[in-house]
Amino acid sequence: MLIKRKSQDAARTRLAGLAGGLTSGVMDRRTFLARSGLTAAGAIAVGSLTLGAVRKAEAVAAPQPGIATVVKKNMCTHCSVGCTVIAEVQNGVWTGQEPAWESPINRGTHCAKGASSRELVFGERRVKYPMKLVGGQWRRITWEQAFNEIGDKMLEIRAKSGADSVYMLGSAKFTNEAAYLFRKFGAFWGTNNVDHQARICHSTTVAGVANTWGYGAQTNSYNDIRVAKTMIIMGGNPAEAHPVSLQHVLSGKELNRANLIVIDPRMTRTAAHATEYVRIRSGTDIPVMWGIMWHIVKNGWEDKEFLAQRVYGMNEVLKEVEKWDPKTVEDVSGVPGAQLEKVAKLFATEKPSTLIWCMGATQHTVGTANVRAYCNLLLLTGNVGAPGTGANIFRGHTNVQGATDMGLDVGNLPLYYGLVEGAWRHWSRVWEVPYDYFVSRFDEVPAKGGRAARTARQNMEVSGIPSTRWFDAALLPNEQVDQKDNVKAMFVMGHGGNTIPRVPGAVEGLGKLDLLVVVDPHPTNFVSLHNRRDGTYVLPACTNFECDGSRTASNRSIQWGEKVVEPIFESATDYWIIYKFAQKLGFANEMFKNIKMVKGKFGDEPEAESILREINRGGWSTGYTGQSPERIKAHMANQDKFDIVTLRASKDVAGVGGDFYGLPWPCWGTPELRHPGTHILYNTNERMMDGGGTFRPRFGLERNGETLLAQGSWSKDSMIQDGYPEFTYAMFQRLGWDADLTPAEKATIERIGGANPGAISWATDLSGGIQRVCLEKNVCPYGNGKARAIAWNLPDPVPVHREPIYTPRVDLVAKYPARADERTLRMPNLHTTYQKGAVDKGIARQFPIILTSGRLVEYEGGGEETRSNKWLAELQQDMFVEINPRDAAQRNIADGGWVWVAGPEGGRARMKALVTERVGPGVAWMPFHFGGWYQGEDQRKNYPQGTDPIVLGESVNTVTTYGYDPVTGMHEGKATLCQIQAA
Amino acid sequence: MRVTLRSLVAAFFLAIAVFIAAPASAQQPNSVNPTAASVKEQQLMQALQAGTPGAGSTLSGRITIPDASAANLIQPQGQAWRAFHQGAMLWVGAIAILGMLGMLAVFYFTRGKIMIDSGLSGVKILRFSTFERFIHWLTAGCFIILALSGLNVTFGKFVVAPLLGEDAFATLAQGAKIAHNFLAWPFMLGLVFMFVVWVFHNIPNSTDITWIKQGGGLVGGGHPPAKKFNAGQKVIFWAVIIGGGLLSLSGVYLLFPASAGGVLALQFWNIVHGLVAVLLIAMMIAHIYIGSVGMQGAADAMTSGEVDLNWAKEHHSLWVEEEMAKGKALPPAAQPAE
Amino acid sequence: MARMKFLCDADRCIECNACVTACKNEHDVPWGINRRRVVTLNDGKPGERSISMACMHCTDAPCAAVCPVNCFYTTADAVVLHSKELCIGCGYCFYACPFGAPQYPRVSNFGTRGKMDKCTYCAGGPLADNSTAEYAAYGANRLAQGKLPLCAEMCSTKALLAGDSDMIATIYKERVLKRGYGSGAWGWQTAYKETIAI
Repeated sequence: MLIKRKSQDAARTRLAGLAGGLTSGVMDRRTFLARSGLTAAGAIAVGSLTLGAVRKAEAVAAPQPGIATVVKKNMCTHCSVGCTVIAEVQNGVWTGQEPAWESPINRGTHCAKGASSRELVFGERRVKYPMKLVGGQWRRITWEQAFNEIGDKMLEIRAKSGADSVYMLGSAKFTNEAAYLFRKFGAFWGTNNVDHQARICHSTTVAGVANTWGYGAQTNSYNDIRVAKTMIIMGGNPAEAHPVSLQHVLSGKELNRANLIVIDPRMTRTAAHATEYVRIRSGTDIPVMWGIMWHIVKNGWEDKEFLAQRVYGMNEVLKEVEKWDPKTVEDVSGVPGAQLEKVAKLFATEKPSTLIWCMGATQHTVGTANVRAYCNLLLLTGNVGAPGTGANIFRGHTNVQGATDMGLDVGNLPLYYGLVEGAWRHWSRVWEVPYDYFVSRFDEVPAKGGRAARTARQNMEVSGIPSTRWFDAALLPNEQVDQKDNVKAMFVMGHGGNTIPRVPGAVEGLGKLDLLVVVDPHPTNFVSLHNRRDGTYVLPACTNFECDGSRTASNRSIQWGEKVVEPIFESATDYWIIYKFAQKLGFANEMFKNIKMVKGKFGDEPEAESILREINRGGWSTGYTGQSPERIKAHMANQDKFDIVTLRASKDVAGVGGDFYGLPWPCWGTPELRHPGTHILYNTNERMMDGGGTFRPRFGLERNGETLLAQGSWSKDSMIQDGYPEFTYAMFQRLGWDADLTPAEKATIERIGGANPGAISWATDLSGGIQRVCLEKNVCPYGNGKARAIAWNLPDPVPVHREPIYTPRVDLVAKYPARADERTLRMPNLHTTYQKGAVDKGIARQFPIILTSGRLVEYEGGGEETRSNKWLAELQQDMFVEINPRDAAQRNIADGGWVWVAGPEGGRARMKALVTERVGPGVAWMPFHFGGWYQGEDQRKNYPQGTDPIVLGESVNTVTTYGYDPVTGMHEGKATLCQIQAA
Repeated sequence: MRVTLRSLVAAFFLAIAVFIAAPASAQQPNSVNPTAASVKEQQLMQALQAGTPGAGSTLSGRITIPDASAANLIQPQGQAWRAFHQGAMLWVGAIAILGMLGMLAVFYFTRGKIMIDSGLSGVKILRFSTFERFIHWLTAGCFIILALSGLNVTFGKFVVAPLLGEDAFATLAQGAKIAHNFLAWPFMLGLVFMFVVWVFHNIPNSTDITWIKQGGGLVGGGHPPAKKFNAGQKVIFWAVIIGGGLLSLSGVYLLFPASAGGVLALQFWNIVHGLVAVLLIAMMIAHIYIGSVGMQGAADAMTSGEVDLNWAKEHHSLWVEEEMAKGKALPPAAQPAE
Repeated sequence: MARMKFLCDADRCIECNACVTACKNEHDVPWGINRRRVVTLNDGKPGERSISMACMHCTDAPCAAVCPVNCFYTTADAVVLHSKELCIGCGYCFYACPFGAPQYPRVSNFGTRGKMDKCTYCAGGPLADNSTAEYAAYGANRLAQGKLPLCAEMCSTKALLAGDSDMIATIYKERVLKRGYGSGAWGWQTAYKETIAI
């Protein structure tokens, strides 16, 4: 007989471990750990056939029996959940991937992308060596040649057009350290044109949320959702975009019998698990929000105490809400009043309630206003600053939170220090480079287009051009671009070319550039989308599995990733590449002054730990100071010690006792202070040293005679039992708290402050003394203020509904028009011109189908990386458009048949039809990960040989259209129009 | 999915319909509570069985990979196919083949070998040309190997495997499968030639009725007249053409599963292939019997191609007349006969 | 004696396909062979449910019953495995399998079937445990290392359960009682002639 006995005992052990983990509950993780310990002991020694013979790295390597296995811990490089990846390495080859049971975030699990991580470092389709285009042909070059040629060209452009003409597009795939270096690189080069993917994913969230209560980040965590009694997921499809988060969402839903309400134009995979699904018309988030709030106010379900103590300006908002009676809301959004009343009641009365959103909310011309409307619902119902509540913003990329924190943004320096002089001076102190050095690096902008000239000093305080407009900045007449000259060069590290709308514009813009540099593990659409013949370089960066560094998950937890294998082929770390460019461009000595260099693959390269220490030295404003490399690494080594719901380790655990997992920022003070990090922002139920906090008063102390400080609310055991402003040295002196500062701390403050030490605050005090004393006295360093329901410094202080530029409801445009044309972020922003043009041209009749877009679970972002992964690519082999059966029948379109999708601005794309009721009649949906085809043309030949992704397809953004949020330049990715016909 | 679960979701469709009818909602509003509509496997399986459209069909959904059959979640028909293959197929096959062997044995022992009544004349007449014999043996040879290798797939594990052991049997079966796949093509070629060459002689006519009435002389005694092929041979011919055609058609589908149209089609073609094969095999056993041990002089037709004139006169009198009339088939007067 | 089974909790499955790529990753399964897949029923409609499906390692496995060369065997853990040495690629197991588990590489005669490949419950095949040869033919042998199938271990929402029948049934029962609803153990009736009564 063939029966072969398997090892019963070992199997049973592991089985029990799994079983423990399957029941939802707090103790499971420990069971896991105990069991997995036993498993390790009980594991059977593997056989010893064919020792040695490690397969070459070009194919996916098989496990090698008998060869010692080294286990490395890193994180999945895709979404922001921050799943730990356990890599088994044999002889320097990644031969196996095991579940990371001990991670409190993913508890062993993955989605399709995480479970196929290992393919990345075999990377048959990776960029293997530096290349450049010579007369339209890709030629292999050396790294040195690349640095020299590119550097010379950059310097030439700088001399002719200015520093601002080189656009620095960074990446949410960077580690914190690389993101920080890239932002610093921009500062040393002398431009604020430094951006990354946050622009197109949650820039409006960051702006909206920060302008409401202080910081632009998820207030709670994935794990904390387990506590919620009611969850609204609006404009998000985490089942596909953040699958592992659903583990927490569904556990919460099951354990608490929580209400899970999904509000979305599309019946998503997430909606399939909802207890209530609300279908809305794309672009009507504000009417829906106001509609919900209308019912809450009418029924008196609002949290009056919370409003009185911690919210400013709600009454002004409620005046707008009053206009949105159920009938009006139904007319505009399509949602019946009774359903919204039910949602309102659940959200306001079955608390704690949390609101989860993604790009369905943010990618609109009213993105920032949408976000503020969402925040208002949370404020009205008192659902911020406590477990189970909050704005659970699921961010997109692995380190988009960290890269945002590191200031890869056209509007601020690292850690949200604005572009004002004080901030520049703060960082020049941290970097130990004179402030004037930076002034000297920036362009002077001549007067043009009726605008006054700017000195270099003024220019360094003006926000740059958002990434959504880079090609407009290359193409528009010089006079319309508010900087010295147009954009002449794109320096792109880790950013796709197909993720920004108006691809035809991008194609034209690419043709106009003098220099295009793409630094990426995969070539991206920036490489394939054009017919450039020269002046184009592709340099192989390695992935995060091939370098050390930290990354910040959506919940602000920072995790350390260990290098799993050496960078493959000729790829190099971001650290080394940035360092080498800085060297070539002549500022490496200043820039890397305080950063330790270690031996890297190609010579000296900056050490990740050392970069993080520099971040720690300057990151006071956001509490990025306590997360030393040692502390974060200790967390990675002790993942099993953290509770799955509270994310906290019990106080008696050595090394990490009392800490929240990943020291979620703000982690105040120096590492020695051992602040535990802040799991839940603005949580007044906890003492400061237990992760408590208050709303941040950053918009003044009073307005219209009304205080902006909290009234009758403070963090637990606060020494000041009332609202209070942020702490400065001057305030310390008034309170007599300066006596608590050590002489060394005082000396530092006096030194920094120069003539005016009183102005040194919690955010600029490099000694950390102010923060230390604040924590001792249980007060929040940034003050104790009220959240703002209205943001008077932003366009539309009270969010108002504005019809999308391309709206099917032309009849509503007069009543809810787009904003008047204006200039935002150095560029013209012609909301009205486009909207009026569309109405006048009868676009809604020619293009009757609403087009919206989103994610597939198998792919991520522009998708080149994932479409090159054979395990993922097999699962989605064709670009498609979802179309309702009614619309398909009217157009003779069969499921799986080819169609042309045409957009109102002339772009057209050929793809397959997926006929489904996921979308309602009159709505089409497309995934945004495809690229490599352009208007029916297969551009595979444009990729350097052997680097073309397995799967190519049309980009949704060939069809998408104009429209930019006035605050952040976020594009309109979720509400435009199209027409579809059978091909 | 292919099966619309009307009963389960009717309420929701109704709700949607009401919404669509509402004039204000030009923008596709509708909403449902998905959890409440959770479909239980049991309900779904019952719905499949309950006389609704699509009853008994495969439980199938949406999948993104191109392999359409992967969208089938559960196909209950597999159980039915298994039941057939491990039940009816075995019985039908065994009865057909063993039954035929049994009948022939009985026939042989009762009727005995059919001799040429008038004895050998020593004069030969050309019955089948070289080409005709070639295509006969081409087809027959292929058929025998196809039949044995085919029977092996169904019966081998009961009959052969115990003799050879699992490993040797698997090796044999592997070889048999390869032979089966490759020899199918010359077999089909032979079929085509046979059809072209012999179809004219095999069109049924009135002499066949007489032949059949007299039991072909097999049962009774006499020799009913026949042309080149008697009714019995015509039956064999058409059985080979139709049966062989069906085997070819089903076989080609089974050889190219991707073009067959899914697992249900494959099951169907497999059943056709199996049943037709065992019936044809049974018939061919009779054919072989009568062409060899069953009848004196018959084997010559397909070996040397020349048969004894007396044999021809007894079994194919009309054909002999025709040949003689044509004058071309008249044999040399003194053919040395053994 | 453990009786290993799979159970997919359709009320948890979100079609994230982690099980699919985990399987590909663990066993380096080639393009075109899908040992595991996720099927969505009622797609886009109320009651939409996704179910991850692979070989269910049936009691009285139909594949084994119809195999002409008896290449299937059931391990002591009730895992249904097969020998690629013996398999002749006839396709019968594919006709009989209710779950579409058997897969065939298109390599042999006329570009049709090669040796059958299917989910091994991460238990390898008849060759020596965790040998290079076993990995090449059947993939990793996690069971022999005291580990469970990677698809279930990595399932994002812990929808896919693998392990001893009694244990996973208990887990599922507890879950359903806790949350108050359950679509049932998909495929159990067909594979094991039993279901989980709650």
